[in-house]
Amino acid sequence: MSEAHLTMGAHSAPPMEARPFVMPSKKFAMWLFIMSDVMTFAACMVAYGFLRNATPEWPRPFHSVTSVGVMTLIMLTSSLTMLMALGAAKVTDKARAFRWMMFTAAGGVLFTLLHIRDWMGMMDQGVSLLKNPWGPAAFGAAFYSITGFSLAHISIGTIALIVVAIRYQGGRYNADDVELFNIFWQFIGLVWLFIVPLVYLMNLAR
Amino acid sequence: MTTAGASGMKKYVAVYVALLVITALQFVIGYQNAEGSQLVVRFATFAVIETILVLLFFMNLGTETPGFIKFFVYFMAFVLATINYGWTDSFRLLLFRLTGYMPS
Repeated sequence: MSEAHLTMGAHSAPPMEARPFVMPSKKFAMWLFIMSDVMTFAACMVAYGFLRNATPEWPRPFHSVTSVGVMTLIMLTSSLTMLMALGAAKVTDKARAFRWMMFTAAGGVLFTLLHIRDWMGMMDQGVSLLKNPWGPAAFGAAFYSITGFSLAHISIGTIALIVVAIRYQGGRYNADDVELFNIFWQFIGLVWLFIVPLVYLMNLAR
Repeated sequence: MTTAGASGMKKYVAVYVALLVITALQFVIGYQNAEGSQLVVRFATFAVIETILVLLFFMNLGTETPGFIKFFVYFMAFVLATINYGWTDSFRLLLFRLTGYMPS
């Protein structure tokens, strides 16, 4: 095809449809990922709610939720430190943004360790995927699957955050990438705020 | 930090404190001997408030275009409403278990 044809083709091409959401492709992809993750978490929680409601003798094993309270405080605080990192990244204060991202990652690590400690406590009481000392076998499977899915997001997210922070400091990533990660981190923090009442607070021992 | 940046941080801290207070209230409610359905309603109300705060201020959804906000809200509302439709069937199962009735 000659150059003249290409030029004519370009001029005669119909005008492109206006971009409906006017946002960078990576950000749109992140929002789509969040939406799909909402569906997955919602399916887990609905399944948990279904099992719990349909089981008259559902166990209420939690005597104290102090550890869960501390974990929630850590998660909420890490959401704030992530926003501090984003604020610093937007004014291209790299050192401060990196520091705040490292604080957020430290929160993620601490949360993960406390969560594993919580799981170990449950395992010590004899709760496994297939049985538990209180009766309905579905309790263990439901508990581990819903909290495990959240734990997987937070622990893998923490590793991803460290990668983002290092790449941001090295100049490979910019404030837009920090913003993308902020959306993800805030989302997993929000999911935890749903898990706490559903899994822990509604099953306090009475 | 610029004035705009500082006011943005103040907003984030205010939302953070609001989230802490709401979460603390949830823990207080959890320790009360409320009936199951009352607990669900209270926790769901608080969860909705927390979701709105996080989406608007922490995830900055409010700064996106109205078209995207509508797309996100309508899509999520539809998905969450339809996914919760199946949950209601657990009452049927509960009735079977409580009464010992087993359909053939």
